[in-house]
Amino acid sequence: MSAEQSPIRNVLLVGLGGHGVLSLSRIVAEGALAAGFDVRKSEIHGMSQRRGSVVSEVRYGKVVHSPLIPGRGANVLLSLELLEALRHLHRLRPDGVLLVNDQRITPAPTGSGPVEYPEDAVERLRELVTDVRVVPAHDVASELGEPRATNMVMLGAFAAITSEIEPEVWVQIIESAFRPDLRPVNLAAFRRGLELTSGA
Amino acid sequence: MPSKILLSGNEAIAEGALEAGAHFASAYPGTPSTEILETLARRGGIRSEWAPNEKVAYEAAYGACLGGLRALVSMKHVGVNVAADPLFSSSYSGVNGGLVLVSADDPAMHSSQNEQDNRQLARAAKIPVLEPADSQEAKDFTVRAFEISERFDTPVMLRVTTRICHSMSPVETERDRSWPKAPIRDYDRNFSKYVLLPANARPRHTFVERRMEELEEYATSERDLNRIEWGDRTVGVITGGVAYQYVREAMPDASILKLGMPHPLPRELVREFAEGVDEIYVVEELDPFIELQVRALGIPAIGKEIFPLTGELNPDLVARGFQLSGNGVSSGIDVSSGHAPAAEGPASPTLPVRPPVLCAGCGHRGVFYTLSKLGLIVTGDIGCYTLGALRPLESMDTCLCMGASIGMAHGMEAALRAAGDERRVVGVIGDSTFMHSGITGLINTVYNGGSSTVLVLDNGTTAMTGRQDHPGTGVTASGEPGGLVDISALCRAIGIRRVRTVDPYDLEALETALEEELAADEPSVIVCRAVCRLVDRTPIAPSVQLDIECPGCGTCFELGCPAIEELDGAAVFDPEICCGCGLCVQICPFCGLHIEGPEELEPV
Repeated sequence: MSAEQSPIRNVLLVGLGGHGVLSLSRIVAEGALAAGFDVRKSEIHGMSQRRGSVVSEVRYGKVVHSPLIPGRGANVLLSLELLEALRHLHRLRPDGVLLVNDQRITPAPTGSGPVEYPEDAVERLRELVTDVRVVPAHDVASELGEPRATNMVMLGAFAAITSEIEPEVWVQIIESAFRPDLRPVNLAAFRRGLELTSGA
Repeated sequence: MPSKILLSGNEAIAEGALEAGAHFASAYPGTPSTEILETLARRGGIRSEWAPNEKVAYEAAYGACLGGLRALVSMKHVGVNVAADPLFSSSYSGVNGGLVLVSADDPAMHSSQNEQDNRQLARAAKIPVLEPADSQEAKDFTVRAFEISERFDTPVMLRVTTRICHSMSPVETERDRSWPKAPIRDYDRNFSKYVLLPANARPRHTFVERRMEELEEYATSERDLNRIEWGDRTVGVITGGVAYQYVREAMPDASILKLGMPHPLPRELVREFAEGVDEIYVVEELDPFIELQVRALGIPAIGKEIFPLTGELNPDLVARGFQLSGNGVSSGIDVSSGHAPAAEGPASPTLPVRPPVLCAGCGHRGVFYTLSKLGLIVTGDIGCYTLGALRPLESMDTCLCMGASIGMAHGMEAALRAAGDERRVVGVIGDSTFMHSGITGLINTVYNGGSSTVLVLDNGTTAMTGRQDHPGTGVTASGEPGGLVDISALCRAIGIRRVRTVDPYDLEALETALEEELAADEPSVIVCRAVCRLVDRTPIAPSVQLDIECPGCGTCFELGCPAIEELDGAAVFDPEICCGCGLCVQICPFCGLHIEGPEELEPV
């Protein structure tokens, strides 16, 4: 992290309604608070469970004012879907990291004329961003028997590139965020994401 | 010992109500306000109720307040319109226990039909406004609002916006987070204060004007509510709410007058600030509420010339505004990109849009498919089902405000008849919206001899705001059994003779019911009952199976179902979200789909 240059860390989290973006961003914000940072998190509800595009912003640092990330200021863009990564790429800093779940979800047919899903999404992302980490989060979560834990695989990936917050902090937050019966699979998902991305 | 916890603005308001020892809370759900009452109901220790609408919520809270309790009532900005009648008059009759009205405004209309600025309503009602800038202030100002209410004998508006309600930031609070209840005040009959006959109301109006003067003195002297942060004296910025945070971000060195209590405006404080700086800017979302009052003091403030009048602000818009001002101030934010819409971003403008859609298996889908098929004029209402106005269903002509569907269907029918137009009108309204303000509209239709057909889409919840109970579910805000209001029985009781219930997953039954009720020369109600898929997620049947190679006729795409994807023109079904509602099975012209299960659905 370029702490001197940008003392505030800006994380933009995007995906689809019902995808777990908002619960993920809450955990990221809780983790930052537990690690001793000032935190702001913003999001838009309302249409959030109905498969519309969902955006949440988390900012942490010594002192944070605006809940919205200024300018093209995201240090990390974490996307739970490929098309949504493309949609929000313009807010990622040139030296920022893109973490993207390797999953494509075609928008429901709207009858409004064909705007095709960009088949070359991964190639376009790689062309536009220097540091792209493609994470097979949905596949990993499905292997673990819980596709809904996709967001925790992505949290693991985020933890792997976030040295200022210890992995143990995230483990504690996950343990307090989920019901006892859901903890093991979400912790396993987190650990797989951490391993996958640390090795990248 | 205090500790720091992460709270949303809404959770912080609930925390503040508990810290203030409030006893009673009432609300109608509405984004972005809903979680305030939900949090209170979950935390317990305070009587928390969903009211059928905001007017009733306000009246219940006001009754509790006159009875001696501290009461909180919360609603979205347009809800305050519904509650405006009791609000404006209670400004005259004042309070006994403290009364706090939370108005959650929605600049940018993330989930609303307008973006009115409710500071204007508070000014019209002549009540003070507190406006927090983060979760800490949301909690602290809630406590403060109760104190101001009791000290000045007035309802107090706590005005928040989506970016306060739904943003999270750390809040310092007592570790055990349990506070004593405020003492309950004695209720004493007070004819000249509480009975607003003209003879009593006239002196009360005089009282209200004097109260506002006293509140302005308070707003000037309470420097923790309204504070000056001296910095660079060439630029002075007056701001408040979340806009304060954007100013701190975009103009870190500027002098700031932060108004936590923007109404009544502390004019002496504004003058003092203006004398200390070279130029005055006002940064506020939506209306030039502060700006015009500052100008009225003869202070040449700059505001809406460089900051937008519509939508919400963000750090970039604030920075860009200051650059536009041309006074040489630099913000340090690169405004060349940032919040530019995706179409202007580097990723190219050809990305398919992803609007919200009715859930897979939603009971509303078949209704709108049928309305579209019959080519009816549809007066719509506020809820998830407003999505029926979007492609591909496109079967809603109007969406105005809560409950409007029924009154408008009546008026539109009168217009079509007068014009000799053969087209037919139906009103479409959800169950919670019907309880909110549909009933009086229906009484109007009965009384005035209308013959509208009204569809009540009864999914057993207030779905759009996140599944809250209402009088039609018979469960209270705290999850206890409550009284149950039966929609069909209610319709019969007010004089509708033709009331029937249909299964909205049965397209043939739906179409028959509509044809029959539209043909009848009297008002009718069709209750389309199917539990919200977000309330009951158990599959209706196993997911749909494709038996043939899909020839790609596209008929099932007309349902706009997120479980049906188009791949090279052919339909592909997503078993992860398909819940076997069977609509596509019923409309596939090739009979190429089936659902396995105890009750196999046959194509019609």
